[in-house]
Amino acid sequence: MSSRLEFRLRGFAAKLFGFFSERQHDDELDAEINEHLEMLTDRFVAQGMTREEASRTAHLQFGNSTLLHEERRELQTLTSVEALWLDLRYAVRTIWRSRRFAGIAIATLALGIGSATAIFSVVDNVLLAPFPYKDPGRIVFPRVHGAQQGEDAGRQGYTVNEVLEIAESNHVFDAVIATEEDLVLYKRREGTEQLYGAHVTPGAFEFFGMPVLHGRLLQPSDYEPGAPPVFVMRYKTWKEKFNGDLSLLNKTFILNGTARTLVGVMPPRFGWYDAEVYIPEKLTHWPGAGPEGFPGWFLVGRLKSGVSSQQAEADLTVIAKRLATIYPKGYPPEFTILVKHVGDTVIGRFAETLYTVLAAVGLLLLISCSNVANLMLARATTREKEFALRAAMGAGRARLIRLLMFESLVLALGGAALGVLIAWGGLKSLVVVMPQDLIPAETVIQLNGPALASALCMAILTPMIFGLAPALQSSRQDCNDALRDSGKGVSSGFRRRWFRDTVVVGEVALSLTLLIGAGLLMRSFVALRELNLGLRADHVLQTMLILPEQRYKTAEQVTRFFRPVLAQVKALPGVVDAAESSSLPPYGGDESKMEIVGKTHTEDWRTLFQQVSQEYFRTLRIEVRRGRTFSEAEVNDARKVAVVNEMFVSKYSPKENPIGQHVRLANLEGVPDPSLEIIGVVGDVTNRGLQAPIEPELWIPYSLTSMPPQVLVVRTAQDPGTMLDVVRKQVWATDSGVALAYSSTLEDFIGGRMYAGPRFGVVVMSIFGCIGLLLVTVGVYSVLAYSTARKTHEIGIRMALGAKRADLLRLVVGAGLRLVVGGIAIGLAISLMLARVIGTELVGIKSWDPITLTGTTLLLILTATAASLIPARRAARVDPVIALRYE
Amino acid sequence: MGTRKSEVLQGTLDLMILKTLHAMGPLHGFGIARRIEQVSRDILQLNEGTVYTSLLRMQQQGWIAAQWGTSENNRKAKFYSITKRGETQLKLETENWQRISDVIGRVLRLEPEG
Repeated sequence: MSSRLEFRLRGFAAKLFGFFSERQHDDELDAEINEHLEMLTDRFVAQGMTREEASRTAHLQFGNSTLLHEERRELQTLTSVEALWLDLRYAVRTIWRSRRFAGIAIATLALGIGSATAIFSVVDNVLLAPFPYKDPGRIVFPRVHGAQQGEDAGRQGYTVNEVLEIAESNHVFDAVIATEEDLVLYKRREGTEQLYGAHVTPGAFEFFGMPVLHGRLLQPSDYEPGAPPVFVMRYKTWKEKFNGDLSLLNKTFILNGTARTLVGVMPPRFGWYDAEVYIPEKLTHWPGAGPEGFPGWFLVGRLKSGVSSQQAEADLTVIAKRLATIYPKGYPPEFTILVKHVGDTVIGRFAETLYTVLAAVGLLLLISCSNVANLMLARATTREKEFALRAAMGAGRARLIRLLMFESLVLALGGAALGVLIAWGGLKSLVVVMPQDLIPAETVIQLNGPALASALCMAILTPMIFGLAPALQSSRQDCNDALRDSGKGVSSGFRRRWFRDTVVVGEVALSLTLLIGAGLLMRSFVALRELNLGLRADHVLQTMLILPEQRYKTAEQVTRFFRPVLAQVKALPGVVDAAESSSLPPYGGDESKMEIVGKTHTEDWRTLFQQVSQEYFRTLRIEVRRGRTFSEAEVNDARKVAVVNEMFVSKYSPKENPIGQHVRLANLEGVPDPSLEIIGVVGDVTNRGLQAPIEPELWIPYSLTSMPPQVLVVRTAQDPGTMLDVVRKQVWATDSGVALAYSSTLEDFIGGRMYAGPRFGVVVMSIFGCIGLLLVTVGVYSVLAYSTARKTHEIGIRMALGAKRADLLRLVVGAGLRLVVGGIAIGLAISLMLARVIGTELVGIKSWDPITLTGTTLLLILTATAASLIPARRAARVDPVIALRYE
Repeated sequence: MGTRKSEVLQGTLDLMILKTLHAMGPLHGFGIARRIEQVSRDILQLNEGTVYTSLLRMQQQGWIAAQWGTSENNRKAKFYSITKRGETQLKLETENWQRISDVIGRVLRLEPEG
């Protein structure tokens, strides 16, 4: 039995052959047809007809020969290929004839496709392919994950011995390298600066597979002990801190006291470990099983091809179990090794924002498609006659649909081309609001191949959304009706109007969803900004001072340096207050176990603790609630006193006067009897970042211990950014060996880390919300304008029968609002369903925040009313006499 | 409207042409049309052009073959003949058709019960 497949294959083969002998086939068929017709004619003549009569009858009996040719072509050639060019040319011509329509449609599509392309570029550059390294998908790092630990918890740093053991005994990696962070002090003429350094093990640059930009990469010999010390610099640092000076190559720098030669500058996208300089280091086993060393090495391996993460985890767990018997301190009792991809940890929360924005841009694209669909429908009604004529001439329905789809495709291609331009411009602005601290250092955001490909895909796919339905609608019709109808009847077909209305309702619903999303993020952002930090962040400059370890070992040495520096900085013109602190607000220092003398409890008591000078509270404008803060004498004499926050009191000593109680801190290095008397209570200050709840915190005089870090906090009278140079000079005047790191205004510091991510979401969503609103306005307007124009005759009758202008206004605006209200109901429903998704990103408001919901709904209604007023006024101005004549 | 002629079903035309070629040997399109007209005694209304569509389609499937020749009044004409594959197809279609027409005949003969 000849199968269906065979049937098809034979058909296709015939088409393929036919395609290459097109002309011959056509001529042959013509000859055959002519022959047939003549024989028929002869026959009729023989039956007694005149020649003309016979010929006419013959043609009648033979039927449509044009259609026959069409059918032959369909059977024998690849019609799609052949007609493609023809249809394309025709489509371009048709569109060119109605430039105004095409302009609006292309602009609408360009907004949608452009936004989508831009956001896709960001997602691709940040989430999908942020790393420019060789096979980034196979670069993984192991994490020691205790059975009791949270999902993302676990040790990621390893000791030298562990790194060597893993590198030697694993069966899953092609290569293993390790990186250790190191603050590098760099001596310049007038003082010491600090660079973020990374020690890398042999093979690191081969591992990442990036060439050098200037000079050379580190060679295997550079890692050998006794080799001349060299280092490689990152592009950004070279450009920004050293003015891109090429003469620096092969010059010697004093880094952490060692003279090192700069041998190479990496290309812009190389940013491994976010370091500024890369220093070679070869690891050698620590002797014996004695001291374990500090687990500061971050280990990455390249998975052998075909090895899965699970296989790697199993292999590494075996090695780690063995290590755990040698170094039991470094491992929890029950653990496994997890293998993670680099990048998984960098982006974190920001990924959610990006995916929200991506979803939003999808909605926007849908809105723009619906808008164009509506335009096409409206336009199709004015072309009814054209279609009917085509149908009468023998165009099949499939042919008509194809023609219309081609017009859609041309529009979409135009939209995509313009959209790529929009995306290109938009990305330039997006990069500015991109939170640099939340994305991998290697990320460069630009239009790339995948983004352009996505634009092209959208150009091909969007016509399916906006072109297919109108094409189906307009091709389904009885040509008799259309040919007879003048096209300006009293009412358009119910079916078609229903379809257009549905599109507008859908558009309004999508747009409201978008607006609500943007509104929620905006309100959440405002709430985030208004969060009471417990301190005044404006006019504050902070910088971390890196004291050379050799000269600052004891608390006394540290205090001896700081006391004059604080006094001198405070005396600088423009400085209001200056203080020392052991952490950068809004982070509250180290955590420690603690006891309150005379109190018993079952669970662990913990508190954050921070070492500060007496002016700290005044400098940051932290309010004192009870008792007092440190006196100068208490700090100078390193007395064992403490100030606590309100959270501390409410958690550990509620309903009591905490003043006078004694606290013992477990982790206070170098203090023999760490029993501290509470002398005061201050208001709660954010101490775990902005979005985390405030924890109990305790402050002690910085003179008690020499534990780093040391931070200088300065309140200024003017813009704090301008004061950095003066402050630096003052510090160096006291000790030029001290480096300043993480220098920033407090506002920038908070902003960069905590506001930047949400701000990106707000900015982008607001733009999308506005575009969506604009598109809906156009959509509502065009539908009403169109239907009003069609009803001019009806309006004329109504006016002739005594309808007032106000009635007509109400009629048109009412029709518009009915659509909008329907859309709003659906939009609200969608938003509530999506609430769960966006809810995780919101701070301080609920995902059904009533203010946002009513606000956006009102905004939409107002806009829609405005959009329908123009056609309404036009309707009301209709002169009945003219309208009745209007045919 | 007068007497209404029956329109020819798509697949039926294929069957009729195959049968005609099977019975009459090689024929050109005009001859096929005449033969069908003759046999159907003017009951079937046939747009003779559709014969060619059918011929093209069956040629593609290899059921019939075509050859240029000379017609009875000395004109160049394309002669179609049934192939081996076409004979098989004809047998298959004929059986199929008979089965269906049997069923329909039986249904139409049904008398109301009682």
